[in-house]
Amino acid sequence: MIKYLFGMVGALGGMLAGAWLMLAPFALAYQLSGAAWADPTYTDFWSGLAILVVSLIGLLMYVLGLVGELRRRGIIEPREEPEAQQAQAADMPAVGGAQAGSAADVEQILLPLVNAMLEDMQDQRRRREGNGGPQGAAPNQQLDPERRVQQ
Amino acid sequence: MNSQARIGLVTSVFTFVAGIWLFLAPFIMEYQRVGEDWIDATRNDMWTGSVLMAVSALAFFLFVAYALRDAAVRADERRREEEDS
Repeated sequence: MIKYLFGMVGALGGMLAGAWLMLAPFALAYQLSGAAWADPTYTDFWSGLAILVVSLIGLLMYVLGLVGELRRRGIIEPREEPEAQQAQAADMPAVGGAQAGSAADVEQILLPLVNAMLEDMQDQRRRREGNGGPQGAAPNQQLDPERRVQQ
Repeated sequence: MNSQARIGLVTSVFTFVAGIWLFLAPFIMEYQRVGEDWIDATRNDMWTGSVLMAVSALAFFLFVAYALRDAAVRADERRREEEDS
């Protein structure tokens, strides 16, 4: 694991050297500001830029390698793989099934209450019909599920 | 060795080569004549190039050395597990 740190330090040194090369012509005043660039300035600036970019890529690679190593050793929490995510998505119907099971339980609990309500409604209907008034038929039709099924 | 480490090593080699280039650049680009006193740009290129070469070479060899050590440790562990089983 420490090997990545050596690589990172080396890459960081390369980055610093590249940045210095880009600035050196102006810092050491062998390139006057405002004047056309001389050959040493071109060489140092473009070499410095290339070294800076390549060292930055190297630094990123060493950091990624270190992170991968830490994940492999379990020091950093492993990233969830796409396959694991798919498996998790596949498990969702099972969770839905559990929810359906709990809904069935609720239905079982509510069934006696619904039956009692239906019986009560039928009694009310019979009483109204016994009183001889078909006036209340329309509202009862809306309420009585059995009649709705018969229709 | 994973792919990131390989790319990192390639960048270390590149910076080493860049250090060599900085040594040669004043003469190749002809802003430093051979035999004459070195100008500021040449001195700067020489120092920067030498630091770059040293740092990249050190990083490269230390990385490879520790990678080999890790590989040796893993091989030893594997051998011990095989002997135990």
